[in-house]
Formats: sequence, structure tokens, C-alpha cells
Amino acid sequence: MFTEELKAFRRLGFRHVLLQALNFASVIASGLMIWKGLGLITNSESPIVVVLSGSMEPAFYRGDLLFLTNPVHERYHNGDITVYKIPGADIPIVHRVLETHDAKYRGPLPAHNQRLLTKGDNNEVNDIELYRGLEYLERKHIVGKVRGFLPYIGYVTIAMNDFPQLKYALLGGLGLLALIQRE
Amino acid sequence: MHTLFSRVNNLSALLSSCVMGLLAAIALSSMMLQFFEAPLEGGSVVVKGVKTSPPLFNWNTKQLFLYLDAEYTNAKGVKNAVVIWDRIVRRKADAKIHVQGQQKYPFKDKHTFRDASATYTLRYNLMPHVGALVYGVAGTTNTSVPFPPMNNNV
Repeated sequence: MFTEELKAFRRLGFRHVLLQALNFASVIASGLMIWKGLGLITNSESPIVVVLSGSMEPAFYRGDLLFLTNPVHERYHNGDITVYKIPGADIPIVHRVLETHDAKYRGPLPAHNQRLLTKGDNNEVNDIELYRGLEYLERKHIVGKVRGFLPYIGYVTIAMNDFPQLKYALLGGLGLLALIQRE
Repeated sequence: MHTLFSRVNNLSALLSSCVMGLLAAIALSSMMLQFFEAPLEGGSVVVKGVKTSPPLFNWNTKQLFLYLDAEYTNAKGVKNAVVIWDRIVRRKADAKIHVQGQQKYPFKDKHTFRDASATYTLRYNLMPHVGALVYGVAGTTNTSVPFPPMNNNV
């Protein structure tokens, strides 16, 4: 079975393998560039997130894909759906703003002088329990504001996290195909 | 060239681009609709007789999130906006809402707004099945309404 492939390998030579490796690397590099470019445009460290919990049902379900922006000079308002990350917690949380408190102007970025309280639509109480001792959220904890979404597309990543074998099978298969293809 | 693999590949590529095109068409068409429609009819007194007009419920409406905002500036000069009531409406049939009684979320800072008055605004957030989120104002009190006298026993 593999003798045929090996023969082809020998015929095409070392340069072919190098070329394929280069192709593979350029695909990965352009993916990374698009991600980081989106991050620059939206001013958000992660402009696309996948919903991991059911705390915003029936608005967002597990696996929904969210698109975020985080404009520097824009304040957050009640009703906005934010994604925030508390230092020390490893997963970001998607919840809606329940209270905003804007203190008087101090410093160069007045929009950042804001304290927020959030709550999940599907939760009975607000998020103070999740803040790990903080009384309010501050702007620096916020990753972005949800602008639009695509349902269920992100379920692939959840499946890959839940079943790591799937991830390795997918990666291995793609790598093998990239090396073997002769066109 | 015409192997089973390439056929499956072509077919799935065509199907996924068709689905993406359809989703984009749905999202864009409903955005156009909301762009041209006037906002909800306003309520005059705090919340009394606000009607949700039908165009808010269209083919791309997953839910309507209604919330009542109280905005006030306290003695320290901090501008506060607090949601005191909200409701998720998922069907047009449920859009007629009668609410009376207590606020859903109490104010937390009981000491700083003692002599203040607030502006109340009913806002909505339209969440689509696919596409962009839309925000709007359903009605506002325009002038500020003094807080009712505090009950010190509470």
C-alpha cells in the first residue's frame, strides 16, 4: 500500500516535501495574521468567541459564535452583552450589563472610567459571586461587546475540547493529506 | 480527477457556500427592514401603554429583550444607569405585557441617591437568529421623576 506512495515520494524528491511544508506553514501564518489583524481592528484580544455555557439562554446557546468589538472611546451601556475575563479565572464569560456607573472625568480616556455590573439572562441573580471579590467590573476586565452572531458553528471547537482524539485525528489527517497530495 | 473524494469535496463546498449565502441574505434583509422602521411607540408616564409594533417580530427575530433603565446622577457626580426591570419576549403573542408592582432589581447604593431624581427609559434589544444585534428606545420619561420617599425601615 505505502510502497506506491514511497516511490512517488522518491520520484518527486526532497524539494517537493520542502515545498509542501512551506505551503502548510503559509496557511498557518495567514490564519494567524487574519486573527491578529481582526484583533487590531476591533481592539479586542479575542474578536470571535464561542459560547461555552447556557447562562444566556435563550439568546445564546452552547456553540454559538459571537463577533466582538471593543472601541476605545465608546462607553458601555445597559443591555449591552459583554464578554469579560476576571484575572485568575481561565474562561471568559458572556453576560449582559445590568448597571453602569460613570465617575467624573479623570485621565485621558474618560470612557474607561466606568464600573459595570453584569448578569446572565438565564441566571436569577447578578454576577457579583463570579467577580472573585471585586465589587464591580472595570473596563480593563472587558474583552468586548457582542455585535453579531452565528448559531452553532462553534460547536466544532467544543467537540474538539470534549473529545481530544477528534482533534488529533483531524490534525493528523490534514497533515497527511498535505504531504501526499501531488497536484 | 473524477474520484469519489473530489465529488464529495465539491458537493460539500457548494453546499456550505450556499448555506453561508442564505444566512448572509437573511441577516442583511432583516437589517434593512429594521433600518427603515420607526422605533416603538413611546410610553408617556413611567411605563404605561407601550406597544411593540409588529415589524420587530420578523423572520429573523429570535427574541426581544425589553428593559427599563433608571438614569440618575448622585451627590458625588457619578452618572448611574441601573436596569430595574427586564423581560424576554419570544413570540408576538406574548408581546402584550402587563406589569404592576415592585421593581425586579433593587438599587444597591441606598445612601447616595437620597435626594435625587431619575429619568426612566424603556429600551429594547432585538436578537436575531443570525446577524447583527439591534438596540433601540421604546419610550422615555424625558423629564426626571423624583424618587419616591425612602422607607427607612427596610
